[in-house]
Order: sequence, then C-alpha cells, then structure tokens
Amino acid sequence: MQYSKNKNRIEVQLPGDFNLNAVRLISEELGDRKYLRIDLSKANFVNSKAIIFLHKLMFGEKKVTVRLKDPPKLFFELLQTLGLHTEWNLDEIVEP
Amino acid sequence: MEAHLLLEARLAMLGSATDFTFKWCVNMGLSRDDAARMALATDEILTDILLHGYKKESGYIEIWFQYTFSEIEIAIQEKGEPFDPEKYIYDPNRALNEHNFVGAALLSVQKMTDQFLFLNRGKDGKEFRLVKQFRSTHIKDLLPKHLNPEDLNEPEPNCEYLITPATSEDAEDIAKLIYRSYSYTYTKEDLYFPKRIETAIKHEYKFGTIVRTESGGPAGYFAVIKSTDSLIGEVGEAVVSPNHRSRGLMTKMMNELIKMSKQRGLMGLFGMASTFHIISQKVNEKYGFKSTALIISKSPRKLYKGMATEASQVVSVVMDFLPLTKLWRKPVVLPEAYEEILSELYAQFSGQNRTITSGKATAVEHDQTELSLTINYETHNVLITVKQYGKTFQTSYMRLFRSIEELNINAIYIDLPLNSPRINAAIEWLRGQGFIFSGLMPLFHQESDHMRMQKILTHINFDLIKTYTELAAKLKKLIQEEYNAV
Repeated sequence: MQYSKNKNRIEVQLPGDFNLNAVRLISEELGDRKYLRIDLSKANFVNSKAIIFLHKLMFGEKKVTVRLKDPPKLFFELLQTLGLHTEWNLDEIVEP
Repeated sequence: MEAHLLLEARLAMLGSATDFTFKWCVNMGLSRDDAARMALATDEILTDILLHGYKKESGYIEIWFQYTFSEIEIAIQEKGEPFDPEKYIYDPNRALNEHNFVGAALLSVQKMTDQFLFLNRGKDGKEFRLVKQFRSTHIKDLLPKHLNPEDLNEPEPNCEYLITPATSEDAEDIAKLIYRSYSYTYTKEDLYFPKRIETAIKHEYKFGTIVRTESGGPAGYFAVIKSTDSLIGEVGEAVVSPNHRSRGLMTKMMNELIKMSKQRGLMGLFGMASTFHIISQKVNEKYGFKSTALIISKSPRKLYKGMATEASQVVSVVMDFLPLTKLWRKPVVLPEAYEEILSELYAQFSGQNRTITSGKATAVEHDQTELSLTINYETHNVLITVKQYGKTFQTSYMRLFRSIEELNINAIYIDLPLNSPRINAAIEWLRGQGFIFSGLMPLFHQESDHMRMQKILTHINFDLIKTYTELAAKLKKLIQEEYNAV
C-alpha cells in the first residue's frame, strides 16, 4: 500500500481490493488526521467491513472527511444493499 | 478446471485468495463483474471465519472451486469455533441509528451470489457454498424470429458428410442443431447457450465430433463429457438434425468418439439413458455398453418432443458402461448383501477379451470418515461420495445429512468404494436409513469402482420406468422390491 501523509491528511493508493487487511493498515496510518483520500482504481471490490469503517469515520465521533477515487461498481451496489447510500453524500465523497 | 486451495487462517492470505478467486472465475467464463461479486462473497466469508471462527487461533481453511456447464460453485470449509452466520440479520435502520452493522457480511454474500448455503457439519466442520450462474444468450435470441424448428423435418437430398472434431468455434452451430432438432425439449439446458458450449470445449470439459454437409451446414453432433473425478467420460450429448436422420451419422460419430476417448486415455465411457423410453438404452447396447445401475429420480419432470403429450414423472436413468481399458479390475470386496447381483453385473464384461481380476482390499483401518458432497441445484439431488470409511461413518453421515435436510431434494445418492470390508456395516446401516440399491458405478471416482445406494424422497411409479436389457430389468425388479419395502 502506497501512501503520502502530512499532519492533517493522508492519501492512500490501494494495490488491490479494499478488504479487512487494508482497513487495518489505513486505520493504523490515519491516526488523528481528519482527511482521508483513497485511490481505489485497482480494486475489484470494497467489502462490508471497509464500508462500515468509512461510515464510522465519517459519521462517528472522528468526523473524518473521506474522498474516494475510482471506486469499483460493486462499491455502489453494496452501499445500496446495506442501505447506507441515503446518508452518504456521494457527489462529494466520490471524486469526479 | 477445478481448483483447491489450502490456506493458513491468517489475515495476510485474504488478498491472495480473493485475487485467485477473481482470476479463476474470469478464466472459467464468468463476466468480470460477476467474477468480482464471487471474489467479494469469498472475501466476506473468509473474513468472518478469521474474525469469528478462528479468532486468534491457528488453523486451516480449504476452498474448492468447481465448474459445471451452467454455474460456478465455491465451497469453503473450515473447522474453527462454531458460529452460525444465519443467526445475524442485518437491519439498515439499526445500522444508521445505532451504528450496529451485525449481519452486513452475510447480506453482502447473499446479494453477490445466486445461491448461498451454510452447512453446519458439527465436529466435521462448517461449509459455505457460493453459487453463481453463467449469464449468456439463449440460442433462440440469436436466430431469425421466423425460424420454425418443424420446417426442418423434411429430409434433405443425400450428400457427402464431413466428420471433424468439434471446436469452440462450432458452439453456435451446435446450439442451433439442438434447438432445431428438439425445440425446447432437450434435457440438457446448457446446450441452448453457445457461450457455455464454447467455454466447456475450450477448457476440454467435453470433446466431441460434428458432422457437416458439403455446403458446411451442421447435421450432427455427439460429445463426451469428461468426469472431473476419474478418467472416464459420459456420452451425454447427441443430436442428428431431423432432415439428415437414418443415414448412419450416429454410428459414424459414436465410432469416432470411442476412438477419441481412447486417444485421450479415458478408461471407460458411460451413458445415462433415460427410462422414459428405451431408444437411448438400445443405442448404448448396440455399441457394447452394459447396464450396471438404475438411478431413480435423476432429474425433474421433462417433456420430450414427439414422445409424450403430458409431462413425464421425474426422470430415472439406466447407467450403461463401456470399458476402454484392459486394466480394469474387479474389486476383491463385494458386499455380502449384493454379492450376487454385483457378480452378475461384472460377469457381463468378462466376455469382452478382458480379464476381470481381483484388486486389493484396503488393509488400513481409518478412524476418520471422509465424505464429499455434490449438490445438483438444477436437478434437486445430492451425491455423497465416501472417500474413506472410518469408525465415524454413521456420525459423519448424520452430520452431513442434517446440514442438507432443509434443501428441497428429490433423491440422495451415496457412492461406496468397493475396497474395504467396512462396506457391509455401512450398507446395513444405510438400509436402516431408507437407502435402497442402485447398482455398480464402474471406475466412477478416482478410477475405482463404487456401489451406489439411493434414498428416494419423491413418489415413483415404476410402471413408467422402461428398461431394455435383461440386467436393467433385473435391477428394476430388485430396486422396486426394496423401494416398496421401505
């Protein structure tokens, strides 16, 4: 996993799928930072643990700003399946 | 091709396992989107096994990747701490209001697959089965709308025919032949989907021969479906266009298929001939096949073009076998309860310039029993194969049975290897569980002979089961007596 970070933000480029392994690595690197950008262009899927992780970051106590680059099609499908799409502002979260 | 992964239960292996799953699914013919769905479903199961099954303990997870012409099945087996994912139901309101996401992984798996089964086999472990069907275009959607299959019943003038091995490029012509000859009544649904035929030929799951006219039009097709468990094949797909029949094309193709099967090292061929009529049984007999088993309730009700005005009952089949090797040996262990009929079944083959000598019985006494389970979702039946008899045979069977009893099943078949004296106790116990005889399955698993027993869970009218050979009739009589006694 490649990443660049400063005091306030971290940008991550995932080498593959967004799974529990990636969740744990990102969680360790994130620390108290309030901005997280993830490049998902190499991912085939984002699993439920990863979606829950992002949901808790955005809507939990930490209030982290999340930005996603090139999420795979299945990400939108699973988000909708879990009924979280109504709360997520995808226009802001997903980079054009 | 089938694949099997043995993984250490560690988080680090997740990515490798799901990468393999994705690539294998794409190679076997799923679209990239569906392959990603199967990889995601696999990831969700593996993650839950690591988090809830093994927690911080060490252990192993096995994944079996299986292909059929219509679907892909991934079976994940593990022996971690008991947990039942089906007890956890996801509630989106609870997730949004309380940040409680219990059941999210299971919902994800159910959404990504066409069928999801959780089989709790107690001490024998847990099993998760994920199934995805191939989505491909039906041949009727590729043909001109005005084409009426009945228009092809007028015989065409005699012509020269060319017989060549079928390649994946012949897939569309094969599907056309089936559709034009049988309309919608051919029993093997996969043959209406060119993409499925193409994938199966490309990966050598089947091989066959196609007959063409001088102008290149397809006139006949005959194929062998290779067993994935043994060096044998099923002569399972045959068609001659109605306007080219009675010209000896079937004979030419069958001879070619036997030649091709020997070249590929197959040790035998078998045919599963329908008992709704005797035509296929007659054809098999003509080419030297011998009846060895009667399998009741093999597939659901079917309509046969030109043969019935009403739907038949569940379809039963006679298993006919043709050995292609002289190395085939009669096992030393024949169970006492069926020694006579099995000896008679074997005796059919001794006149074919072949020595049927005795092999060796397994001397090793195992503690553990190994059973494998094959679920046929389309035909609503299951096959249990005994890989190894052990002291735990009865408890292992019961654990397996309990894990599948909620499925809508017409029949349970169990294949018992003819290699251990333990078969006698197994048969006696299975009879007590409602199993009856089915017959001999020569070289059926791992190139060894098995005896099949069957438990029929639907009503059978034996008057509708037509048999052609003398031994098939004898099998029917014995099986009917046992069925009535149960």
